[in-house]
Amino acid sequence: MTATTTARPALATGGRRPRRRAPARDFRTTRWGWAYSAPAVLIFAAFVIVPTGYTFYVSLWKWNALNPAMSVYRGLGNYQRLFDATQPTFLSSLWHSLYFSGAMVVGGTALSLALALLLQRGGALLNASRVALFLPHATPMIATSMIWVWIFNPRFGLADWMLHSLHLPTSQWLQSSTSAMPAVIVYSLWHEVGFTTVVFLGGLAVLPNELSEAARMDGCSAWQEFWHITWHQLRPVTVFVVAITAITSLQAFTQFYQLSDGGPVYATTTLSYLVYQEAFVLSDTGYGAALAVVLFAVTVFFTLVRRRTATGADSALT
Amino acid sequence: MRYRIAAVASLAALSLSACAGGGTPATTTTAPAASGQELAVPTKPVTITFEEAMTIGTLKPAMEKLVSDFQAKYPNITVKLQGDPDYATMYTKEKAEVQAGNAPTMGQAYESWASYFQSGGALTPISELAGTDTPTEMSTFYKGVQKDLALGDGKTWMWPFNKSVLILFSNADMLKADGQAAPKTWDDYASVMKAVSKNGVTGSTIDPGSATAAAFGTQWFEILDKSNGGTLYDADGTPHLNDAGAVTALTYLKSLKDAGALATGKNYPGETALGAKKGAFDISSAAGYGFEKATVGGKFNLGISALPAGPAGPVNELTGTNIVVFKNASTDQKAAAWAFLKFITSPAEQAGWASTSGYLPVTAQALPLMQDFVAKNPYETAAVSELDTAFALPPHSWIFKCQGYEATAIQDVLDNGAAPTAALGTAQTACTAAKAQG
Repeated sequence: MTATTTARPALATGGRRPRRRAPARDFRTTRWGWAYSAPAVLIFAAFVIVPTGYTFYVSLWKWNALNPAMSVYRGLGNYQRLFDATQPTFLSSLWHSLYFSGAMVVGGTALSLALALLLQRGGALLNASRVALFLPHATPMIATSMIWVWIFNPRFGLADWMLHSLHLPTSQWLQSSTSAMPAVIVYSLWHEVGFTTVVFLGGLAVLPNELSEAARMDGCSAWQEFWHITWHQLRPVTVFVVAITAITSLQAFTQFYQLSDGGPVYATTTLSYLVYQEAFVLSDTGYGAALAVVLFAVTVFFTLVRRRTATGADSALT
Repeated sequence: MRYRIAAVASLAALSLSACAGGGTPATTTTAPAASGQELAVPTKPVTITFEEAMTIGTLKPAMEKLVSDFQAKYPNITVKLQGDPDYATMYTKEKAEVQAGNAPTMGQAYESWASYFQSGGALTPISELAGTDTPTEMSTFYKGVQKDLALGDGKTWMWPFNKSVLILFSNADMLKADGQAAPKTWDDYASVMKAVSKNGVTGSTIDPGSATAAAFGTQWFEILDKSNGGTLYDADGTPHLNDAGAVTALTYLKSLKDAGALATGKNYPGETALGAKKGAFDISSAAGYGFEKATVGGKFNLGISALPAGPAGPVNELTGTNIVVFKNASTDQKAAAWAFLKFITSPAEQAGWASTSGYLPVTAQALPLMQDFVAKNPYETAAVSELDTAFALPPHSWIFKCQGYEATAIQDVLDNGAAPTAALGTAQTACTAAKAQG
């Protein structure tokens, strides 16, 4: 960079000494760069960085939220309680978070990719189908959850009525520890798949046709074309969908709050729901903060693992 | 770099100090009344706020009438209602307001909530308002209500408001068609429940509650325990969740479930099933009469009777909340709040409130003033009489958690088929730990 400013011959300036240009600097490192960034940085600090640090601070105390001056220092005592608690156990909540996230990542990605492949061709009917598919994602989760509580009602609900009409075995849905989490996953897929399908549709729309045409001419089957050509090219989009689904699933709360209240018998108590329950309902703020710190660490861990395993083009998405 | 670190550190310190100061009570500008002296009704204009969950829904007219009657008597006092859609939302808001140093003057509170607020120094004792810990008005309240106003330190911190007990709603036509009479004992009840559970009908559907909220199913379990001679909690909050009475109670529920006479659900499932003629009974609050009647909609005769009795005799549990006065209020606001509390528990206002809301009057002096209502609702006299003997769980902050453990044990037994002894043993362990945490 500096070579271009020092190597100019004196002739070019008619014998005048050339004005020495200041070395180019990254604008972001200048005072103006800082000034322009300041509002965003301050907002981010006020609403994310400082509260995150403050949560860690609170996690070290038996915190009296009504009167912090009455709080008692516990050190790592709240973290110790993570392994002593029985109702629910920390590990069971962690497992529920991973169970839900795993189902959403695998099921959500596969389903939305399949739907995107079905809907990628144009036409009025398919466009209407796209809108219909996306519509649930545009609805407020708290409102639709209330409707699904009734759909899942074992005595009066639509779900069991349909199963019964088809002579299929009915389910207790949200009333049973074994079927409650699958029921929440069914609802969550219904609500979320519209968004990820649109992401895949966007990816499919910009794929070049040449490779597929060449493959078909070489005798590739439809499955081989999808597996080796289409999905391979969709890898950056898939990585994005997996990452965004994993993070939002780990932090999912509304459906657990409205559909199942974390039950029955803590069967749908995930880490994020447990944070809410302990910190805001049961007023055990210090313990809730310790859980929040652990949830933060889990999310960071999975994000780092994903970054570590990301290669090539998809790393741009990280 | 040093500047950046200093700036970030300053910002963090500012935020931490701002948050840490959130719960500090504001100082009052006027001097409190001398000890032993009742606060006089203020003569200058004063506004008080009341955090409540009564003005959303059918109770709105009754609540607004209480306020308008009070403001007509004390025109210089304005009562500003801060309505919430449900108790859980109200509790969350109350906690947030106290933490922000912006508590309302008064708020509805369950006993365990009041204990939590008191542990943070957020409440005003009744003695600071009335000049005594036992104001004369208290002696007119039913005995069960009187006992429900103190916290763990024995002092009076609450004033009664929307109190009720549980009663038994039934499909009278269904029982008559099946040749069944209203059950007098819990054994009778089990027999009738099993007898009517056929052709798509399940005797009753209950909400067992959840880890974060008790429901009528939780209270039914507590009543069954006591009617078996059990004591779930000592006065100091020590739990006995796996004692014989509790195990018997939960075994009773399990036997009904196993016989197909009991189902579980959410969102007032008993009322829904009763109204849809899919259930024969619903155990619910006397204050829920209006809701039950609306759900039934004249499809059949709605039967109402007192809860059956157990081996230890008839037992009932208080439902509903009390009112607490928060500490941040100024002396004038506290005086106005005290005038409001006394006013709404006066016999005439209680008669009007009970007749329009469905809650029970907290003073026996109200009954003669509401004879028209009693004539139309004959269950009222029997329900009110239970206010003398109805129990309330001891007022300790961990009881809120422990009721969640009770509810979870009920779910585990009824929905997962767990053994009552094991489920209640788990609840006992967790509740003991919660008590130790304080």
